[in-house]
Amino acid sequence: MTPGMFDLLGFGPQGWGLPLLQAAGITISAALCGFLLGSVFGIGGATLKLARSPVLRLIGQAYTTIFRGVPEILVVYLFYFGGSVVLTTLLNTGGFPGFYSLPSFVMGVFAVGIVSGAYQAEVYRSAYLRLDRGQIEAGASCGMSKFLLLRRIIGPQTLRFALPALGNIWQSALKETSLLSVIGLTELLRQAGTAAGSTRQPLLFYAVAAAMFLVIGRMTGAVLGRMENHLAKPWRR
Amino acid sequence: MDREGPRRTVSRHPLLLQIFLIYYGLGQIAPLRHSALWPFLREPYWCAILALALNTSAYTAEIIRGAVQAVPAHEIEAGRACGMSGFLLRRRIIWPIALRQGLAVYGSEAILMIKATSLASIITLTELTGIAHKLISSTYRVFEIFIVTGAIYLALTFLMSTAFALFERQLHAHHAHRRA
Amino acid sequence: MASVNRSVVAHNTPAVPAISVNDLHKRYGTVEVLKGIDFRAHDGEVVSILGASGSGKSTFLRCLNLLELPSAGRLQIFGEKVNLRPSGSNLRIGDRNQVDRLRTQVAMVFQNFCLWSHMTVLENLMEAPVHVQRRSRGQVRDEAEAMLKRVGLIDRAKAYPAQLSGGQQQRAAIARALVMKPRVLLFDEPTSALDPELVGEVLKVMRDLAAEGRTMLIVTHEMAFARDVSSRIVFLEQGRINAEGLPQELFRGGVSERFDQFIARFNQG
Repeated sequence: MTPGMFDLLGFGPQGWGLPLLQAAGITISAALCGFLLGSVFGIGGATLKLARSPVLRLIGQAYTTIFRGVPEILVVYLFYFGGSVVLTTLLNTGGFPGFYSLPSFVMGVFAVGIVSGAYQAEVYRSAYLRLDRGQIEAGASCGMSKFLLLRRIIGPQTLRFALPALGNIWQSALKETSLLSVIGLTELLRQAGTAAGSTRQPLLFYAVAAAMFLVIGRMTGAVLGRMENHLAKPWRR
Repeated sequence: MDREGPRRTVSRHPLLLQIFLIYYGLGQIAPLRHSALWPFLREPYWCAILALALNTSAYTAEIIRGAVQAVPAHEIEAGRACGMSGFLLRRRIIWPIALRQGLAVYGSEAILMIKATSLASIITLTELTGIAHKLISSTYRVFEIFIVTGAIYLALTFLMSTAFALFERQLHAHHAHRRA
Repeated sequence: MASVNRSVVAHNTPAVPAISVNDLHKRYGTVEVLKGIDFRAHDGEVVSILGASGSGKSTFLRCLNLLELPSAGRLQIFGEKVNLRPSGSNLRIGDRNQVDRLRTQVAMVFQNFCLWSHMTVLENLMEAPVHVQRRSRGQVRDEAEAMLKRVGLIDRAKAYPAQLSGGQQQRAAIARALVMKPRVLLFDEPTSALDPELVGEVLKVMRDLAAEGRTMLIVTHEMAFARDVSSRIVFLEQGRINAEGLPQELFRGGVSERFDQFIARFNQG
């Protein structure tokens, strides 16, 4: 007798419930790490793009143009294969022959992060440009140091202006983690594929994976929406 | 408020997942497998196209809705005041204005589509990224291949955005004197 | 130095002036906005700085808080020389810490209020004392609340700037400056961005402060206020001090032809 749908998705011996949930956990953690790493790249990129020196501005511009214009999957290949090429070359010249590769989670997070950062850089930059110069000046006139200004005035207000667009970028990062299946990371899509292959039920498992992506997206979206609402409070009349 | 245009709420599914669902999933439906469509749905090429089209159509609908809603009410009223209504009002007033409003957002969606075609390589379609992947696996010259492939994609997206910009300028020709 | 039309002899007060400026210049590219200003303000003085738009009066005030860096000249605050070092054809800050410290002593009130929009009124008041001056939070809160009571805003302590009227915002901004316990208050056209019916409430607060004996430098277009409240008027024209003196004498006329024209234009308009 072939197992029914609930056996396949359950937590029993024939069930794929637990592996799928674990895979969802990997999807979420890869997306979260990628997005946070992307914030670092994004803030760096925005700083470069806002720099006074034309050379720095050009570097920032090149970063955002390249990583927003090139398909994400290509960036994933670049990091995964490029990473192991660099590592292998380094270790071989250091006297350790053989072939080495890096964990797909780490390289995948880097790929998601660098792409996400390119988009975030644009968002932070335009949010910064929307700041009221007068309020920054008011801070300076009270004797605030540059760091204090950044921490108390510029940072919180930039975040507030950036948050709606950052929500979209988070959703993209979440979706991009599915590309890490091609470098062997057992995230949601790959786990669904494995299950589909061994049960010959691709429709069921891919639909379940789609539903899980939807739920994760909705839930995190709701959290971000709440944050946005909270941070927008001071601007409501 | 949000400069990114209408929010992409519609497609929260990864495109790769949609491609798999169509490429691997549809074969599970027996009636479909015996239908006249099967010769197409068996092919990675048509599956990729179907997935891309489904993926972008939902968002495009959103863009169109936003653009039509953004047509200023007073321009519609002015049209009505001239005795226009129904199809004439849409064809002469609403749609042309909406086209101008929605074009920029649609342009960035078109660029996203160019990038999205790269995913077809996963279901064995040897397009640009597919070739790049093959070359990387056989030669391991990751950086050279990335630079060349990336440059081709950048050139394509640049061409696309230039085409949209030209089209937009054409449409906005009546504003040209303002800019001057 | 260009001759200054003075109605009274310069001060004979021996004390160290609160602010002392020597031969201050400010250039933007090739345009010279301030062309050598000599100025002194003593403790307890209320000095109104008048002038047509473009006369350099706002720039001058902003130089005193170092929001603008002078291109040349010397600046002393409470006898302490502000460390400015030359860089090209301009001056740069020589000692950041000194500037940050002096700025809390010379507080600024802006034309556009410039309250921090992500903080409540009370948080706006507490920000600099807690984070710049590093005073204890509890004590600062008490003082901030007392200050809000003074300017009549205690019931709006938890409101955000966007929820206040312009007049309320400016009163809050004045309170924010006061909580730092500055020795000098600079006002840069504090009522120019306000609807006419809101000007009075802000001027009243300023009047009270002047009556308390605060040291105040005010760039303003409120002529009646300048005449009634200031202890001294400085009239700037094209980047120079054209006339200086007691308000009643300057406003009586005859001290400076330019000033008389300026007032006449004002009364017509």
